[in-house]
Amino acid sequence: MQSRILRPTLAIYTAAFLLFLYGPMIVLAILSFQSSDGGPQFPIRDWSIYWYQHLLGLTETSRVSQLPVGDSLLRSILLAFMTTVVSTILGVMSAEAFRTKFKGSGPAFYLIILGMMVPGVLVGLGMALLSNTLGIGRAWWGTSFVLHVVYTYPFAFLVMLAIFNRFDRSVEEASLSLGVSPAQTFRRVTFPIIFPGVLSAMLFSFTLSYDEFSRTLFTIGSQLTLPLAIYGTFSVEIYPNIFAFGVLTTLFSFTLLVIYGLLMKRFTAKAARFKGQEEN
Amino acid sequence: MTALSTDTPTKPTHSPAELREKQDRRRAMGLLTPGLLWMSLFMVLPMCMVVYVSFWTQTTFAVESTLTTASWERFLSSSTYLSAIGTTLRVWAIVLVATVVVGYPVALFIGLFVRNKTFQTALLVACVIPFWTSFLIRVIAWRPMLGTEGAINVILMKLGIISEPLTFLLFSEFSVLVGMTQIYCVFMVGPITFMLGRIDPSVIEAARDLGASFGTIFRRIILPLSLPGVMVGSIFVSVMVLGEFATAASLSGRKVNLLGNIIVSQVGSLKWAFAAVAGVVLTIIITAVIALALRIVDLRKEM
Repeated sequence: MQSRILRPTLAIYTAAFLLFLYGPMIVLAILSFQSSDGGPQFPIRDWSIYWYQHLLGLTETSRVSQLPVGDSLLRSILLAFMTTVVSTILGVMSAEAFRTKFKGSGPAFYLIILGMMVPGVLVGLGMALLSNTLGIGRAWWGTSFVLHVVYTYPFAFLVMLAIFNRFDRSVEEASLSLGVSPAQTFRRVTFPIIFPGVLSAMLFSFTLSYDEFSRTLFTIGSQLTLPLAIYGTFSVEIYPNIFAFGVLTTLFSFTLLVIYGLLMKRFTAKAARFKGQEEN
Repeated sequence: MTALSTDTPTKPTHSPAELREKQDRRRAMGLLTPGLLWMSLFMVLPMCMVVYVSFWTQTTFAVESTLTTASWERFLSSSTYLSAIGTTLRVWAIVLVATVVVGYPVALFIGLFVRNKTFQTALLVACVIPFWTSFLIRVIAWRPMLGTEGAINVILMKLGIISEPLTFLLFSEFSVLVGMTQIYCVFMVGPITFMLGRIDPSVIEAARDLGASFGTIFRRIILPLSLPGVMVGSIFVSVMVLGEFATAASLSGRKVNLLGNIIVSQVGSLKWAFAAVAGVVLTIIITAVIALALRIVDLRKEM
């Protein structure tokens, strides 16, 4: 095979691809350290953390209005939390249901999966029309919340389905036949096994909901979530404070990812220890 | 387990296995009901509402439930709306081809040429990490990159390749295409890598031992076996690109109007019926595209 030429070529190509993926974010991060009199472009007049201070409201009066992050951030986190709880519970329940064969499982499967495929504008529009017709007020904790679950529940469901597929049912049956109640069996046997999956489902749901935007746009009402507050600033001129905000949210997401990694590692370490004990 | 116990000669109607199966099924239905109910109420019902409202009567600031096809007629006779359909299809086709062309070699490298599992995972993770930043931030990040005083123009001018900044880079269809390709490319790389990773290396080795060139191996083995991955990736990318509006809204300077943008602007001016018509058109396009993709490759057979 001509892999002597092909392999290095593909390696260089992949490196270029990664640069393509990361380039804009790197440029954005560099420009977030622009000085207070600089614009959202090169050259950097002077390195400063002015726009970070501006973002956090620590600067004197400025020509640029502050990004409305405070309340909307709180709302976004709360909404993501609610979405995580509901979609993870629904996901675990439905995946558990799919362990038994039943008629109509095909359509049921596709109905759930459709939730992640339908474009956000469409369900958002439908929900807005529905709430108009029924006279229900639009709010982030109502109309937006149910759509967020429609979006994240399929992800949680798929993650849990993958976990349940690899899960030996006889362990549960052993517990049940030893006279342990179903509730207790779930808590002591099933849950520890599926916990990594639950954690992944929660991570998916939280981050998808936290960043969700197109489903929220028409259904939010007057109190905005974070992505919408950011979207509102798009139509006018942009300033480096958006870049500073981008860097901070990215760090926030990475923190979540690290917490997830640590929890996962701790859990697998614990599981390994139990296994070791049994083998002794 | 249940299969074994059905062999024992018991009364056919009340065998314990059958009872248990029935009980299991009832339990499954009980567990599934809340989820299906949620999807029906908050996804299917709103979608039906879009279709229904597209036949309502639009007045200046409201809609009435008197049925009419006026909105449809206006939509189908307006060149603005029809050209939005054209733009949507064009952007979709270009981005789809671009994600395949840009993503396939990357998938080929990660899936087939990297033998070290850890390195393979690390590369895949490196592709996914950008998803941990906000979608809107990733879109807006293209502005300082492509602008007249942006990174690319600055670098090209410093290198002396151009003397005037390129103006077509930002606030044009080009910037929308570049932005979308970057954002959605990973959805193509992932499935293709997955399919390529499943190819048995001994098949390729056998072909090589029999004297096949890499071109032949690629054409006869690698490409056909990776096609389902391309299809899955295409479905992902298509669904997301067709429903897009934010990238066009923030990178095109209002020059590119996708169907999604039409919906947003119509809702903004309270023209609910027109927005609904655009929504139904969009739904039809997406359904057609997915149906076509599924016709080309039978996913259930291939996966």
